[in-house]
Amino acid sequence: MTYAYYPGCALKGSAKRLDLTLRKLFSRLGLTMKEIPDWTCCGALEYGDRKQIILNSKKNLNKASFISRMVIAACPLCVKNLKESEKDGEFSIFHPLDLLNVKLILSAEIKNDLTNHIFTPYYGCLLMRPKETALKDKEVMEKIIKALGGEVCGTEIKDKCCGGNRFFIDKDLAFNLSKIILERSKGTFVVFCPFCHLILKTFSGDRKVIYFTELLLYVLGDIKKL
Amino acid sequence: MQKIEERIFEYTGYKQEDFSVCLGCKICASVCTLNDVGFKVNPQELLLSLFMGLKIKNHVLINLCTSCYRCTESCPWEIRIPELVRAIKEITDKEESFTKAMKESIRIFGRVYEPYVILRVLPTIILKGYVKYLKRWKDYINFHLPTFAGKKG
Ligand code: SF4
Ligand code: SF4
Repeated sequence: MTYAYYPGCALKGSAKRLDLTLRKLFSRLGLTMKEIPDWTCCGALEYGDRKQIILNSKKNLNKASFISRMVIAACPLCVKNLKESEKDGEFSIFHPLDLLNVKLILSAEIKNDLTNHIFTPYYGCLLMRPKETALKDKEVMEKIIKALGGEVCGTEIKDKCCGGNRFFIDKDLAFNLSKIILERSKGTFVVFCPFCHLILKTFSGDRKVIYFTELLLYVLGDIKKL
Repeated sequence: MQKIEERIFEYTGYKQEDFSVCLGCKICASVCTLNDVGFKVNPQELLLSLFMGLKIKNHVLINLCTSCYRCTESCPWEIRIPELVRAIKEITDKEESFTKAMKESIRIFGRVYEPYVILRVLPTIILKGYVKYLKRWKDYINFHLPTFAGKKG
């Protein structure tokens, strides 16, 4: 089965690394996806008019229908908008974390386990809320990391807001919010949201901030070092 | 001209009576992200003003709300306060230059083309002291070319 892939703007620009590693990871795990041709921006959080947001995503879903009615998007904002525009059950919208699970990972050939590594899996806001569009399994990153022998920290801050949406508008607010998250966590930061990555990386000092896809590619031996 | 309130309802899909269910429990205020960092913000105030037809466009949330949906998650009625805030901003033209630049980019290219957005808000980036982070942003700079996806369909 092939999934229709909606990368979204960030994954073509600042989050290029997420796009590349996601494609690679999925092909390693035997999941096929094909990019939706001529897709346009879903509107992210920029429009006050809900009708506009829904219209944008509907157009993209129309284009997806030529590939598949199973649609994947990795940016939490895109996932939210796609899910909100899909009310009739005609399409199924997935975030990669809806598809990844311990069984699937362990069925692949593991080259590096995560013993002696400490991680803070950080989901941010829109993968966790609002509940209609959030991930079903809100501990999937923890489960996978633990199954691979890694240690997990920072559970109480994993769904706190990093201020990503305000970053270029109110630097101090973003700084203060990410400070709370950084201070109450340990080890390598593992994220899936392009904006959480940008904001946390900006303020993280020596702390490592990586995408979950990179972590899994390390486990599969496609990335040499964490 | 249509009243601001009416346009807010049109934009968000809410009706005035949807806010009359608000219990005044202020759970939204107790979980609001902004209160973590020392603001004293009460999202319910905004609803109350809207319900009573009072002025809303200068409410402090308009400038601060991070769209984290924590209020929505905890509210017994799941009222989507961040979506109200976004509607108010768009209707009263209180959107930040950054948001405007992103919308511009979507209009021209069909997508958010980051180099274009950065150029449009360059003065802000320089004046507000973001330059010192440039070193950390190496990773994010990808010189892809704009597409004109929006133009075709
Ligand atoms: S969405 Fe806005 S109002 Fe609601 S909790 Fe977050 S910052 Fe506060
Ligand atoms: S949590 Fe909901 S019901 Fe309670 S005061 Fe806030 S908006 Fe009203």
